[in-house]
Amino acid sequence: MRKYVSIFVALVVAASMLAGCAQNSTPRPKEGGTLIVSHQDDPISFNPDWKTDDYAYPINQNIFNKLVTLDPRYNIVPDLATKWEVSPDGKTYTFYLAKNVKWHDGTKFTSQDVKWTFDTIIQKKGTAYNNLQAVESIECPDDYTVVFKLKQPYSAFLGFLAWYGTFVMPKHVYEGTDWTTNPANQKPIGTGPFKFVEWVKGDHVTLEKNPDYFKGAPHLDKVVFRIIPDANTALQAFLNNEVDVAGVRPPLSEVGKLEKTDGVKVIKFAAPSRYYIAFNMRKAPWNNLDVRKAIALAVNRQEIVDKALKGLGQAAKGFYTPAIAWAYNDKDVLPERNLQEANRLLDAAGLKPNAEGIRLKIDLPYFQGSEWADMATVIKANLKEVGIDVNLQQLEIAAWMQKVLTDHDFDITILNGFQGPDPDNLRLRVGSNGNLQMMGYSNAEVDKLLDEASQLTKVEERAPKYKDVQRILSQELPIVPLAEVTSIYVFKSYVHGMPVEDGIGKVTFSDYSLVWLDKK
Amino acid sequence: MGRYLLKKAGAAVLTIIFVLVLNFFIIHIAPGDPARILSGLDNPSPEVIQTLREKYGLDKPLQVQLVTYFKRVIKGDLGHSIVYDRPVWTLIKERLGATLLLTFTSAIIAFVLGSLLGAYSATRQGSKVDAALSFVAYLLYSMPSFWLGLMLILVFASWLKILPTSGMVNLRAPSTGILHYLDVFWHLILPATTLSLVQIPAYYRITRSSVSGVLKEDFITMFRASGMDERKIFRKYAFKNAILPTVTVFGLHLAYVVTGAALVEIVFAWPGMGRLMLGAIYRRDYPLLMGIYLIMSLSVAVTMIVVDILYAVLDPRIRYT
Repeated sequence: MRKYVSIFVALVVAASMLAGCAQNSTPRPKEGGTLIVSHQDDPISFNPDWKTDDYAYPINQNIFNKLVTLDPRYNIVPDLATKWEVSPDGKTYTFYLAKNVKWHDGTKFTSQDVKWTFDTIIQKKGTAYNNLQAVESIECPDDYTVVFKLKQPYSAFLGFLAWYGTFVMPKHVYEGTDWTTNPANQKPIGTGPFKFVEWVKGDHVTLEKNPDYFKGAPHLDKVVFRIIPDANTALQAFLNNEVDVAGVRPPLSEVGKLEKTDGVKVIKFAAPSRYYIAFNMRKAPWNNLDVRKAIALAVNRQEIVDKALKGLGQAAKGFYTPAIAWAYNDKDVLPERNLQEANRLLDAAGLKPNAEGIRLKIDLPYFQGSEWADMATVIKANLKEVGIDVNLQQLEIAAWMQKVLTDHDFDITILNGFQGPDPDNLRLRVGSNGNLQMMGYSNAEVDKLLDEASQLTKVEERAPKYKDVQRILSQELPIVPLAEVTSIYVFKSYVHGMPVEDGIGKVTFSDYSLVWLDKK
Repeated sequence: MGRYLLKKAGAAVLTIIFVLVLNFFIIHIAPGDPARILSGLDNPSPEVIQTLREKYGLDKPLQVQLVTYFKRVIKGDLGHSIVYDRPVWTLIKERLGATLLLTFTSAIIAFVLGSLLGAYSATRQGSKVDAALSFVAYLLYSMPSFWLGLMLILVFASWLKILPTSGMVNLRAPSTGILHYLDVFWHLILPATTLSLVQIPAYYRITRSSVSGVLKEDFITMFRASGMDERKIFRKYAFKNAILPTVTVFGLHLAYVVTGAALVEIVFAWPGMGRLMLGAIYRRDYPLLMGIYLIMSLSVAVTMIVVDILYAVLDPRIRYT
């Protein structure tokens, strides 16, 4: 815990220094104006904790607050809790709440709201349920203090509280009602910097300034999320000044052009998310380490970055994301590409080429989307060079989930995903009982290391365990990491105070409370 | 006529029930589990998935789900969406207006322009104008609507900067009253043009061949021999006889107004039913999909009956008994 506090203090210092520098070069924030953000699709609802809903998440960040949240660089920063303490045994988390917080309908916010929210998520199995399993009880010694008691120490707890499906909801609105159908799901009441105004289905969501926001009133009068499902249309709307912030990611092939466009800002950095190949180790020949190793040797990771990701990303080296640096093992890494060695291993595994030079025909199911199609095509070409004939199966996400996660009907597959907010995420992806572990991989030592690491409280003690896990992964290769994902933020240069620029250490990814417009 | 309509309506109801049962099984056969989709790809917990399955009755055998569904539909209740937790009918109602505005406008434009151009070509067969029109019609016929839409955006919004790229209203300058309607009309131009352009060839080709067929008939030759004005022959006798197949095509197009514009809606961010349907398919929102299919089959059935009646009005030789 001490580590978290020190990280936080360092961040606040750094952020205030940054803010200091910024004041010299840019004028004072201008008040007023409407920010228009392009947005991929309709939210499911504005109940922020019930279902997994990526299309509500950026909007909810402006309407609601969490206890703690993640800034655009994935640091844990205060939100409704101004400070917190962890007991030495790592089993008690005490949060001290801001005192001047009001719900958008004027009701006072108290610790009871926090308790109700998390009790409900656990009881009704909201989307964050899995991350709250360590919680034994939640207590409110007074209106501004919340104590979470855990069954066992769980060092990833704070990170998961800061992540997804953990927005604090108004008890006085929801208590005694069905939280899945409460009218507030259509007209949310939060504590955030902007108040909900309207949601025209399929077209836009409008928010207005909350002058009583407890961290200080935002500069903008309004934020409008304009729903544009097609990435090409969204890009044109952005270029034609119909939209100020590209909330819909532009096609990767256009990013280079955007960087050279006047009046457009593009900010890129490595995200703690990565692409990887997963083997179906339940069946031959994938239960043979030599065959998996041959694939790792045959795949050209740089070519994947260049062709599928249009150069936006980095070829993977190790077995965890380098973006969470303290847990990253840079010693035990993937081998360099070596076709000769790959062929030798395949020969040794008894997979001899037939008359046409084919050793093996395999299925590779992957999601729809041009980057996935390009990635699968590169892998197909790479594996062809060692005599493996890949049958590409493009599937929509629902069918992919059924085939890969439920039916385990595949040879190899490709996927990506968030590796954070804490390396405990590895349990999900490579632990024997991990919910996203489709490989059929099971290593008692890996499980033991992951369990131990999750119960230790000091980063210095946890890091070696995670590094050990990565060493084992590099030896057993249940997965082959391919590339690191790049976060791309695109907005007009008259938009100042974007979270990704000025919000580090202060606000979360899409919280526009610091944004102001310098437009004529 | 009354008995005929009753018979038709009865057949329509049977067809709709059959279509619904068929749809029910088809969408459940498609791989995919809504509970899994709703629990997300970043941290899908088995307990959450199980809770969702139980909540929405997805854990029950398929035939039980089917019976439950039909019991509800008979009472006029389309059920609740698995994804949105809201009544299916409410979700459909919110989108219906935008869709009908787009699809009706373009169906009518395409019908009028397509059949006029077709008739024009038929009377000048073999001329340069006829050849040019036929060429353009083939070109448009083979053009995917989403591609054509994007090209129109690039030309009229990005290059000429005279029209908005997408959406239904100008969010920079919200307006009310008459200005609001003008704003919606302004935003309607590109999507309606796209949808009309891809529909025009169907009307053009059917009208052209139908008119040129009628013009070769004996009674037309007879009028010509009697020295009647060519334009009068066309207006009074040829066109009326030739329009029936065109009306059939119009009816067919109208039948799909509810969801037929999905791709155009996506390209132009038009908040319509087509997008709602595609979303329901991706997320396997069975009740919502069934509701949309029900509305779709209803609109097909009703349009077909209306077209039949229209036939009798247009052609006095047709009488139903």
